[in-house]
Amino acid sequence: MFANFRLSMSWVHTWFGLLFGFVLMICFFFGTLSVFDREIDRWAIPETRFDAQPMPSFDAVLQPVFAKLKPHPVDMAATAERVIGELPHPDTMPMTSLYAYTTHRDPVLRIGAEFAIPNQLKDPADDHLHVHGWGTVDPRSGAMLPEDRLKIGSEWFYPMHYSLNWNWNYLGILIVGLTGFMMLVALVTGVVVHRKIFREFFTFRPWKRAQRSTLDLHNMTGVLALPFHFFFAFTGLVIFASYYYFPMSTTMLKPLHDQHEIIEAQQTGLAHEPAGVAAPMASVDAMVLEAKRRWAARDMAGEVGYLYINHLGDKNGYVSIFRAGSDQVALVGQGVHFEAATGRVIREDPAPSAVASVNEFLTGLHLQHFRHWLLRWLYVVGGLMGCVCIATGFVFFVEKRKQQHAKTGSQGSRIVDAVAVATVTGIVIAAVAMLVANRLLPADMVGKGEWEKNVFWVVWMLAFIHAAIRSGPVAKAQLNPAWREQCWLLVMLAIAAVVLNAVTTGDHLIKTVFIDSYWPVAGVDLSLLATAFIAFVAARRLARHQHASDQAPNVESKRASHADLQPATLKTSF
Amino acid sequence: MIYTLAALITVLGFAWLALAMEEHWRQVHSSPLPSIGARRLMRILGALALLASLLLCLRVDYASMAVLVWVMYLVSSALLMALMLAWRPRLLSIAWPVRGS
Repeated sequence: MFANFRLSMSWVHTWFGLLFGFVLMICFFFGTLSVFDREIDRWAIPETRFDAQPMPSFDAVLQPVFAKLKPHPVDMAATAERVIGELPHPDTMPMTSLYAYTTHRDPVLRIGAEFAIPNQLKDPADDHLHVHGWGTVDPRSGAMLPEDRLKIGSEWFYPMHYSLNWNWNYLGILIVGLTGFMMLVALVTGVVVHRKIFREFFTFRPWKRAQRSTLDLHNMTGVLALPFHFFFAFTGLVIFASYYYFPMSTTMLKPLHDQHEIIEAQQTGLAHEPAGVAAPMASVDAMVLEAKRRWAARDMAGEVGYLYINHLGDKNGYVSIFRAGSDQVALVGQGVHFEAATGRVIREDPAPSAVASVNEFLTGLHLQHFRHWLLRWLYVVGGLMGCVCIATGFVFFVEKRKQQHAKTGSQGSRIVDAVAVATVTGIVIAAVAMLVANRLLPADMVGKGEWEKNVFWVVWMLAFIHAAIRSGPVAKAQLNPAWREQCWLLVMLAIAAVVLNAVTTGDHLIKTVFIDSYWPVAGVDLSLLATAFIAFVAARRLARHQHASDQAPNVESKRASHADLQPATLKTSF
Repeated sequence: MIYTLAALITVLGFAWLALAMEEHWRQVHSSPLPSIGARRLMRILGALALLASLLLCLRVDYASMAVLVWVMYLVSSALLMALMLAWRPRLLSIAWPVRGS
């Protein structure tokens, strides 16, 4: 089919890179935003603009909060469809387990619980016989935050990067998984195709014509950040592999998995089933102190990241306390488990096996729960290089073909260009428009979060439609003016977001940087301004480029005919 | 502080590695190419600088964390180098002020 191995790899790189590149761009861009998801949360919910808090006292603060926590209406409705008969009234359902979760960057605390129901399941294979309740707590006072404040960073941008926020049958997660795999393929084929990796290691020639300088930038950002790209695609796959991509434990091997759970419970002493005998609960605060003492004794003092209590109010109840592993890469729990009724230590998690340590390291490398601002920003650099690499891939694809397509009347490069605009400037516009909407919509509006999500989808769709409508010139081998126009829109939106934040919350940059420093909000504002600046420079350059090509259409067509003479050489030089 | 030093050394290391390449030397200096020996010296110095920055990173953090920071330093410094060679090549003459052989 192909003259040589490199050409066949080139074909795979070009076409699979293009097809999956659009999804990959979403993964990379929103993944990059996720590095600062908790900071974006604080920008979007001004009530939470205080310092990150440690896990509060369970006995004094959390117990009364959990006493008030009810099954969530959303999960009530979902569960009602899966069980036989009517669900009991939510106020009468007993709480069987609960959790509280925080990180070193979280001012607020996420909590949740499971409530038992007496119903039978419609599908006996389904063993999810409880209703969930959840909420967000101000750890300083124990006050619950209103439910419909969307945490834009951690509940929208972050899940967008691994699930496209398309949860029907895990379809988004599966698409992203396939894309991650194709990214590994694209990296390997890209290395094969790009012959002069070391000779052109630092090579970027912005003064050369678009096709050449775009390819330079594509190669450079791809090669220089190769370890970063490889590790993030790979670890992303590792994290989801066992549960989503090879769901053996919930399908084929389910009986074995369930049996293993029971045996494991016997070995660890953490009861699998409740005893059915009521028991009081000892002081959880005392257990937390003991867990902290044990961590300190192992030379890794730290705060509690995750607290879990199972079989509440039962003699078999236990409290598991996990450490917030913010001082190392590996995502570790170092759990200490207590008998709920007495506070006696049942078990301290042993050191992980070699395989488990590798897994913890790879997971931690991707999820970055560690406290290291320098590394966090370096991740942003890597993520943005990934975005540039993918975006220049699209542009190069179009640049390479549009002259040819203009001659043959093909619309191919026009379509690719329109989708590229929507996935490059379009997603940034959608994300920033969401922040603008967040500041414009009144805080007490019912369903505010849902409206913010709608703004995101609608703006993104409009960006695509705009790019498609304006893509006519591409079919004539010219530049799509949508690139420039969307850059201008981005400049305006990004500045508007910063101004609206200052006006609606009073947290303007002079205050958040100099007077009363608050870096999470200042950082988001400064990043928005940087976005506006880059979009401004890009828009100016695109305008100049447009002007030049309008002035000299003959040169372009000459080049085109020259290129036509040597299609074979062009192809091999790619 | 040590991290800043490590960053500077990484950039310097890449500057030497780049200057050892014919094409990039021409971008930075208008003078003739340095001798083979001088270019080899630049390569060795560049490699040693990258090693030194790794050792510096290892001084401040757990090995696992330090290696990640170092790898990301390599990525960002190489990017900085490529952008400097594209827009401000003359600045890099600081790394090797000797004018050819």
